[in-house]
Amino acid sequence: MNRDNSNVEPHSCEEISLPGQIEFARQHTGKILSQRVLADKTFAIRIDARELAEAITPGQFFMIRPERGTDPLLGRPFALYDTIVDDQGMPVALEFAYHVVGKMTNLMSEWESGENVVVWGPLGNGFPFYEGNHLLCVGGGIGYTPFLGVSRETLGTRLYGDSSKSSRATRESANPERRVTLCYGAQSQRYLADLSDFDDFDSSRFRIQISTDDGSAGHHGFVTDLVAQNLSAQGNDRPDGVYCCGPERMMAAVASICQAENVPCWLSLETPMACGFGACFSCVTKVVTDDGWDYRRTCIEGPVFPAESLAFQEN
Amino acid sequence: MITRNDHSVWLRNRRKPSESDSYRKSSRNDRIDEQNDIATEDQSLMADLQVTLNRLKLRNPILVASGTFGYAREMAAFVNFSDLGGIVPKTVTGESRIGNPPPRTVETSSGMLNSIGLDNDGIDVFINKHVPYLTGLDTALIANVAGRTVDDFAMLAERLSGVSGIAAVELNISCPNVSGGVDFGTNPDSAKEVVAAVRNACPFPVIAKLTPNVTDITAIAAGAAEGGADAVSCVNTFQGMAIDWRRRKAVLGNVLGGLSGPAIKPLALRCVYQIAKSVDIPIIGIGGISTIDDVLEFLVAGATAVQIGTANFYNPAVSGSMATLLNQQLDADGIRSVAEIVGSIHQTTQQSC
Ligand SMILES: Cc1cc2nc3c(=O)[nH]c(=O)nc-3n(C[C@H](O)[C@H](O)[C@H](O)COP(=O)(O)OP(=O)(O)OC[C@H]3O[C@@H](n4cnc5c(N)ncnc54)[C@H](O)[C@@H]3O)c2cc1C
Ligand SMILES: Cc1cc2nc3c(=O)[nH]c(=O)nc-3n(C[C@H](O)[C@H](O)[C@H](O)COP(=O)(O)O)c2cc1C
Ligand code: FES
Repeated sequence: MNRDNSNVEPHSCEEISLPGQIEFARQHTGKILSQRVLADKTFAIRIDARELAEAITPGQFFMIRPERGTDPLLGRPFALYDTIVDDQGMPVALEFAYHVVGKMTNLMSEWESGENVVVWGPLGNGFPFYEGNHLLCVGGGIGYTPFLGVSRETLGTRLYGDSSKSSRATRESANPERRVTLCYGAQSQRYLADLSDFDDFDSSRFRIQISTDDGSAGHHGFVTDLVAQNLSAQGNDRPDGVYCCGPERMMAAVASICQAENVPCWLSLETPMACGFGACFSCVTKVVTDDGWDYRRTCIEGPVFPAESLAFQEN
Repeated sequence: MITRNDHSVWLRNRRKPSESDSYRKSSRNDRIDEQNDIATEDQSLMADLQVTLNRLKLRNPILVASGTFGYAREMAAFVNFSDLGGIVPKTVTGESRIGNPPPRTVETSSGMLNSIGLDNDGIDVFINKHVPYLTGLDTALIANVAGRTVDDFAMLAERLSGVSGIAAVELNISCPNVSGGVDFGTNPDSAKEVVAAVRNACPFPVIAKLTPNVTDITAIAAGAAEGGADAVSCVNTFQGMAIDWRRRKAVLGNVLGGLSGPAIKPLALRCVYQIAKSVDIPIIGIGGISTIDDVLEFLVAGATAVQIGTANFYNPAVSGSMATLLNQQLDADGIRSVAEIVGSIHQTTQQSC
């Protein structure tokens, strides 16, 4: 798995590395097993796609589209929320969560169990396996979903991806002191997803902090306030690494707080995509190079980037 | 320096499949296209799929379109390249180009608009980094180039002549997303001139890729034929735009873009049909092809080969399944060769207006 080279190294302009190009990605047809409501206009869909579930890791994504028809035409990218495991702990299905925003997501909200969908993946580099002491995950809106898997992997309660690969070895030596804090920001209470999937973590090692823009739940204000608070703590209460996914403005704000606090930060971008595997060059983002910046494909160079390697658009 | 190659080489395997090829052989991509569900039982796959476009011979008529297949590496997980008649990688220009600002694509009804803007690293990087990989694949490599001037095109073709293993060059005289590129494709004399210059500059077959954004595409095809093109590929994208009326703004960063996908198939078929009817030149049909029926429609309209474009994005395994499907369909219909069906509409119908 290409997870080790997604670490701090800034992207250099001579050697273009494509950590998100996955040679074992495949196209599958799978059945929808269930669809449930997580919040207003927010749902989670389970798909019977064993091979994809076996291979995918937190922060990676896959593309999905209906089996038939040409409108909508292109697949849409979604991040892994959860893998569903059998009695032996082997992944047999996967779940993703989505917020309804447009053509495909509206259609998806009408999908029913038993329908076939087409998926291809796993795609993208995913978050690196966290090896620090205290990871801060920051999710804005639906961007919180990768952090269920990230938290499980970081705390050593679940393995993802090809088990013969590094994650198993790393888990064996997983630091029992390692902690995760999840800061989750939403516009308002009704968009706050049901977080009961996070209930099975040991509360001494995992906590959730919530913010809403309108103060209807948790901290009244932006999730970035919570990030600043966490980073001003002392000792092991102070996170030593930050993973972030959400709207671009929020990620830019989190990145600048982390930079000021000198804490390494990784961002997972949600650039609109047409293929998801590097063929179309539509998902480009500005990546810092030796002589300025260059457009690079988010799908196969990311979607997770060290914050300092990105040149944020002014807006 | 320039040597005449024997291009029939593409009918043979050029090297033993590598380890990674055999890895792909075990490709587990499900075949997903509902319209393609012809019986898959073992049949005697007898039809002759080889096609000849003047100096270019292909082992089957299924190619993939420039800009929709990356540099092939990106597709390695989904496609066994030896199932393809050939690969046309992304357009290469003399100097590197940064491309257009995002958003670069937007979905439209049964189609998409793109304004990638020929984002590429230039001919040197192409030759050093991509060509060695591409020529190692067991399929024909058709390089696609774009220049601003006739000399640019000739220079690019000459640079490629220094590289072995290139089956043909396709001239992108039709990209609607960069100024300068499209002019050669809108004037028959310029089309003729650029094709003739490239023909002089390189030993391999020359294909002119035409834009449909003209009044009379047959005139441009005739110009390319006079210049000595071995084939025309038809068509590139149709110029269009998408508007976000609430923001009073164009959706694409470049405002205008090119329409592709199933939405353009009838328009592209018309172009192929008209050229086949009036110009004596082999045609490579392109536009919205995603099923075996689409492939056959283009062949019947007069295309000798086809390119699959946008479908690679939303059905990444499709190109690799198409030659087998073609074989099965021809077999089922008792047709012994692709050549037998190419242009067959012109033997059976009369123009009605
Ligand atoms: C790697 C990756 C992982 C993702 N994971 C998830 C996930 O787990 N859950 C989830 O709900 N969403 C996720 N997204 C975003 C999701 O792909 C889009 O919301 C979805 O494609 C919208 O499709 P649609 O047809 O409903 O919207 P469209 O009809 O295509 O668009 C509707 C509106 O939303 C805007 N829009 C579309 N895509 C995006 C985007 N990516 N960012 C901002 N605005 C956009 C369009 O400009 C338009 O205004 C992810 C995106 C990426 C790139
Ligand atoms: C995203 C995208 C990028 C493209 N880039 C190129 C290109 O670089 N050079 C070129 O000659 N054609 C390019 N094309 C045009 C296609 O090769 C093809 O002619 C067109 O898309 C119509 O076929 P389709 O409907 O099957 O996609 C591009 C098309 C798309 C959708
Ligand atoms: S989505 Fe096609 S290149 Fe990234």
